[in-house]
This record gives sequence, structure tokens and C-alpha cells, in this order.
Amino acid sequence: MAGLATTFGSGAMTNSINEIEQAQVILAVGTNTTEAHPQVARRMLDAVDRGAKLIVIDPRRTRLAECATLHLAIRPGSDIALLNGMMRIILDENLHDDLFIEMRTENFLALRDMLYRVDLAEVEVETGVPRDRIASAARLYARAQKAVICYCLGITQHICGTDNVQSIANLAMLTGHVEKEWTGVDPLRGQNNVQGACDMGALPSVYPSYQPVADPTFRRKFEQAWGVTLPEQPGLTLLDMTHSGGQGAIRGMYIMGENPMLSDPDATKVEATLRGLDFLAVSDLFLTETAQLAHVVFPAASFAEKTGTVTNSERRVQLIRQVIPPLGETWPDSDTIMALAARLGYPMPYESQAEVMEEIALLTPIYSGIFHDRLETGWGLQWPCWGREHPGTPFLHKYYFTRGKGHFVPAQPIPASELPDDDFPLLLNTGRVYHQYHTGTMSRQCPTLTREADRALLQLNPADAKGLAIRQGEMVRLTSRRGSIELAASLTEEVTAGSVYTTFHFHEAPINRLTTAAADPKAKCPEYKICAVRVEKVSP
Amino acid sequence: MSSSHILKKDHLIPLLRKLGKAYRLVAPMQNRHGDTLFAEVASVETMALDLDHQPQESLKPFLFPQQEVIAAYEADQAGYALHPRYAAPPPTLYFGVRSCDLAAILYMDVIFSQRTREPHYLGRRHNTVLVGLNCNAPFPNCFCDATKNGPFSELGADLQLTDLGDRFLVTAGRAQGETIVSRWPQFFSAAEEAEIKKQYQLYLEARGGFQRQVHVDLAIRRLAEGMVDEAVWQQLSLRCQDCAGCAYVCPTCTCFTIVDQPRSATSGERLRCWDACTFAGFTRMAGGHNPVEPKKAAIKHRFLHKLKYDVEKHGRPSCVGCGRCLDICFGGTDIARFVELASEE
Repeated sequence: MAGLATTFGSGAMTNSINEIEQAQVILAVGTNTTEAHPQVARRMLDAVDRGAKLIVIDPRRTRLAECATLHLAIRPGSDIALLNGMMRIILDENLHDDLFIEMRTENFLALRDMLYRVDLAEVEVETGVPRDRIASAARLYARAQKAVICYCLGITQHICGTDNVQSIANLAMLTGHVEKEWTGVDPLRGQNNVQGACDMGALPSVYPSYQPVADPTFRRKFEQAWGVTLPEQPGLTLLDMTHSGGQGAIRGMYIMGENPMLSDPDATKVEATLRGLDFLAVSDLFLTETAQLAHVVFPAASFAEKTGTVTNSERRVQLIRQVIPPLGETWPDSDTIMALAARLGYPMPYESQAEVMEEIALLTPIYSGIFHDRLETGWGLQWPCWGREHPGTPFLHKYYFTRGKGHFVPAQPIPASELPDDDFPLLLNTGRVYHQYHTGTMSRQCPTLTREADRALLQLNPADAKGLAIRQGEMVRLTSRRGSIELAASLTEEVTAGSVYTTFHFHEAPINRLTTAAADPKAKCPEYKICAVRVEKVSP
Repeated sequence: MSSSHILKKDHLIPLLRKLGKAYRLVAPMQNRHGDTLFAEVASVETMALDLDHQPQESLKPFLFPQQEVIAAYEADQAGYALHPRYAAPPPTLYFGVRSCDLAAILYMDVIFSQRTREPHYLGRRHNTVLVGLNCNAPFPNCFCDATKNGPFSELGADLQLTDLGDRFLVTAGRAQGETIVSRWPQFFSAAEEAEIKKQYQLYLEARGGFQRQVHVDLAIRRLAEGMVDEAVWQQLSLRCQDCAGCAYVCPTCTCFTIVDQPRSATSGERLRCWDACTFAGFTRMAGGHNPVEPKKAAIKHRFLHKLKYDVEKHGRPSCVGCGRCLDICFGGTDIARFVELASEE
């Protein structure tokens, strides 16, 4: 979010998902698309069938990588070096788009000066990718007329996440691959409504529609609408809250539909924080590891039991409709919040979800033309939607960037917060599998899905396994500076020697007790993708 | 002997109203989101009957539900008790069934009555009346001509309808169909020679209306001769997303698994659920070994079953050419794609 907001002025997919199908070149960076975004992968594979070139940048040999024209298996955390290397080659071979740079961007000279200092021999060493393959990727991408970059958490969940994103934006602007249909920069969102949560201001520093808390004009607007005095300072970030150790200023928390006991990094600290609170309330569908620590649990209704909207990766606001009444004692979240607000002395008597949407349209410029009745038919509306007659916006930055001119922000490689050493010689990367969803709260209730995957597997390169005398399927102990867990080894060439990989779905092997809470200084997104670990046999 | 009658379109709804009093009525209807699905008719007055689009699902979910309670159980320290559950289904009339879905039902009849007769499916099936509808204009993904069970059907339905414009030609194929004609004779008149000829003309025209050329016979021959290259399986399996969408929409995929769903500490239900051979868990053994390596052969068994094993066993493939898996597949690894790759010399 922060990276694209600085360079383009808006932190969302610039294209629509369907446009990916028509691209000539697709550059997929840090995204295991087939497992995490199958509907996007479907478009990528369709594009490949139509003759598009697919370039995958990923340390692991994922299925997408196997379907790719070119797979660059980079060292984890060397994205900036690789992207700078590609840009240097584009510049050297005169493949950049002069006219676009002149008309639509600013600060190009800073980028150019930085690129002229990039040593391609060093890039090769740093990334582990041969120079000719970097050059092939650069040429394929730069020469295409219609090229999209898709990226995901492999880019953002690093200490240099914002710089990674800005490097991607630099590459797209350098070659003029923005502002058009079938051409752009597309961050893929991890859940059906992450985009919506950000749009609604579920971020510490902004109100809905990214209107800054610190700006008195916007603050007054919301104070007037809500009839309250609002704080002048931005709030705390997630990690500031969940890693305060329970002795901080925060004495109570209300957590909705989130399971930080498994999903947040350095989870031992999270547990200490939650146990140290005076009061904890949790809403969820099931009694999660987090809910088990709560003083009060609100049983929440599922998507099928309530009405509302979700906003997906491509900025599309869609209506979800209630199909069954809430089961048992569950309530829709909005009812819980309204009842709580009333008890706290601030009644919020909305009569319907449509009425809430009317308030969103009133206060959120990018949603100002979105009303429930418009969402009843068709496939929803893509923001920005400026009024009732506005048809929505399939792709962003037509004619000019949201912030005016695209701003080049040169980035230098930044080393990971924790690199392997003698005690912890391996790099741990974490992610997801196709058949489970996040901390398994919902997906582990389904017998078909649990039959597919019901335990954590540590992917380990056979060469590393041989040195440690570890056999396929054997239980191993995985240890970092912060914790230790036991899980089964899965020997595979999907990971390169020196790296291991596992998922965070399973409470039996809570991998986030090992991950580091070191985070990107701007976006505060933790470095889930790199930490140093060691693997040992579990003694018989 | 089959007999042919004429039903004027003006009298279709009145006939359905009468039928609705004698049977539970299921017909293809458009829901408020524009999707056409088979659904139980709640009211003939307000039903949005849609005979212009292919229903997105076959009749499989009605005759062989995705999830079905087959027993209740109680378990405590002393042991456990299993109480089979069986609910007698109401007599049901399915209206507007296309030839692909009819052929699929005939296939399921065989599957569920081999060796042990399966009571849940067969119970529903015996209480079923099928009213078929011939396809004058095949849909974009259809290839039932290649699987040789369409676009017109002469088998399986109690009454078979052909759209002649302002009227239907109605052929009574089985006893239940004759019963309907003789119970409500006021709706039917005898078909004339010209009308029967027109039906054949429409049949000929419909056969020329397919938009896809899927050479199923060629793939069957090459599979029988062992000529399909390993690389074909690998190429498709790598792209298979393991979602099982193909098996779930397939009108002839009948694999199921049985799971126990606890409802309390001491009791629960035994469910029969659809399963799919593309799932790794379908073949993985208790020790973790999987004889089918997902990335190399996840979809191999599926296509061998449809186009080789069933040809050997029943004399015809169990793909009925409905084309639904072409729409549902995430990875472009559907059966038409396989046939295309397998047929390449």
C-alpha cells in the first residue's frame, strides 16, 4: 500500500483481473498464484495459452514457475537487486520509454543516476541468477506492448517491502507499462475484503478513502459526521499493539475475525501481550487459539448469514447476500458492534446495511457513487466511482497518475533483518497451501480439505537433508532465535539448498513462534518471508 | 413401441400445473442472478422456466446429493451403535432434461446397481419420471455428438419433447410416459406425418450446429492402443488446480467418500460426500506414500476412467459431452483439451 501510494498515488491493482488474460508479458513476482489466487492464475495460464510470455521471480519452483517461459529462482530477499539489474539492462539497451518518462513521471534523473552505479556482476552474485537470464527477462518485459506485473506477499512481507514495491513501480514507469488497459502493476490481495478494509480506513493513519488522520480538514469532516472529537494522532500499528508485552498503555482489546496467536510473527510475544491485558473480547466463527484467551467471546455469523459488501483486489465492490438465518446464537458483526456501541453510550441505530453504505458514499470520495441498489444487478462496481451516474473504473491512472505525475523512488538493496549464521544456517520462508486458508479456523472444519492437507510439512532440499541425515516424512525440530517447533520433513527440489519453507495454517506447528517481528519501517509489514533457522533430527 | 403426440406450447404451463399436483416438479429455472439451474418448482404461476440455456448443473445433485446422511451413530465407552437412515423420496418429475443428462442417468443406474444395489440412489430413481428435451441448437461448449448420446435422445426419458416452434412433438418412450398421456389426454393430439418428418429435419440440422470439434473417438482409439504420450498427462496435471470442480459438475462422476461428522461428544452422523480422483487424498496411503504423483498424473485416472476403462467395461465412454467441465476448469485441463492433445499424432 505505502509503496504504490508514494509512486502512483493509489495503493491498489491498476488493472482489472480480466485484463491479465490479454497481456503479452506477465511478470509474476513473489506470488504463488496458482495456490493463493487460483482465479488470477487461471487468467495467467489462459494468457500463456494465447502465446503470452510468463516470467516468474520466486525462490521456490512453484507450479506457476513450472508453467513459465522463464523462472528466475532468486535468493530470498534479493528482489531489489534483481529489479535494479533489469532496469540497468533496459537503460543500457535503450529499451526504456522516453516519452512516457517525460510526460508522466518525475525524479527520473535520481533513478538513472542510481542505476548507473549498479554493477551487474554484483547483481548476479547477490541474486544467484545468471546475468543472461536477467537480461532475457528485462528484454521480454520492456519490449512488450501490453505487460502486467503481479506481485503479492513475497514482495511485501520483507523488511524492505515498501522499497520492493517502489522498485516494481520504477520498472513499470521506466518502460511505460502503466496507465493502459492490459498493462499495469497489480498487487494481489490475500483475502476477499482486505482491499475493502483498507479503503474503509482500517489502518492507523487514515480515515476511509485514505484521508489522513493528521490533516485537520478531514478530521473535522469526520468529527462533524459522527458528532465526536477525534484524536489528532494516528493510532498504533498491528505489531505495536500485539507485541507490547501486555504491560503497555493498551489494557483491553476487541479482536474480530483474526487469530494473531497463529498469524502474527514472534507469536510467543503475542501470547504474553494478550495474557497481560485487563480485558480481551474476540468475535469469530469458531473458538480459535486467540478466542480461547478471551474474557468474552462473541459467536459471529458467517458470510452466508449476513448481508453487506466486499471489495476485492481489483477494487470491485460486490454485494453479498444473506441466504440463511444466523445459526445458533451467532450475530452478524454489525449487530454486535451496534449493540456494543449502544452499551458504551454511542447508539448507532442503522436500520439496514444499505444505510451504512449510504454513509460510506457520503464520506468516502472513491465510493461516492456506490449504493446497494446499484450493486443488486451485474458484477458490482470498481472504485473510484465518483457519482450515481459514474460507471466505475476498470483500470487506474488513465491520462495521469492519481498523484499527478508518477514519482520514481530509487531503492538500494537492503539486507534482511536476520541472515543465516553458524548457529542458524538455513533461511526460513513461510506461505500457504492450496487446500487450507490462513490459520485453518474455517478450512480445517471441512473433511475433504483436511484430507488433502492436515499437517505442517517442512520443505527441505534433499541436499540439505542428506547432510543432516533426515529422511522423507521424518519428524524434525525447527528452531530460530525465538522458538522451536516440531514438524514433518518433506524433501523436495521446490526449495533450493540453504532454504526451507512451511505454512502457518496449523496450530500443532505454530511457525510464527519462530518468525521475526522485524518489519518494514514504512508499511509496518513484518518480515514473514525471511528468518534464520536450524533443522535437527528429533532424538528417538 | 413408442407413440408420438403433439402438445401445443400454450398448454405447457397448464399441463405442468396438473403434473405438479401428482409429482414433486423439478425444472430448469432462471434465478434472480440470471443463472439457470434445475430447481424444485414452488409455484407454477411464478416459475421462471428457462428452456433456452443449459442448466449449470446436471440432475446428479438430485439423485445423488453432494452430501447425504446415511446413518446416525452413538458411541460411548461400551461401544457404538449405527442406525441407518433412509427417507423414502416423494415421486418426482424432472422436466426439460437434455440428452447429455439423460445419458448420465442411464450410466448412474448401472453404477449404483452393480453387485450390491445401492438403496439411496435407486430409491429416488424408482420414484422418478423423466421428461426429456431435445437440443435443436447445441450450446457453445457441447460435444454430445462426439460422445454419441445427443443432441437428440431416443433412450431414457419417459416422455421426450422436441421443440417444433409453436408446439412440442412428444414421444412416449416408457410406461410412465404413456401413463401421463392417458391420464391427461386432453393436452395431447396425435402427431401427423409432417410433424414427425420435421423432427427428423431438426435432428439433422442440430447435428450440424456444434461449434466445437472434439474427436472423442480418436482419443479413445489412441488410449486403447496405448499411444498417448506420458508428456500429455504431465502437461495437464501440472496445470490441474486440484479443485475437483470437473468431478463435481460432471454428471457421470460418481465417486464418493464416507465421513463421520460428530454432532456431540457421543453422537453424530455418517455422511456420504462426493469425492474426486484428482484429490491427492483420494489415493494417498496411510503412511503418506501416494502412488499417483499429483504433479505428473493427477488427472490421468479421471480421463482413463472416462475414455478407456468404461469403454472396455460398458462399451461406451462415460463422458456425455455436456461441456460443463470446460466452463468450470481453472487450469484449462478439461476433457476437450485432453482429447485435443491425446489425438495429436
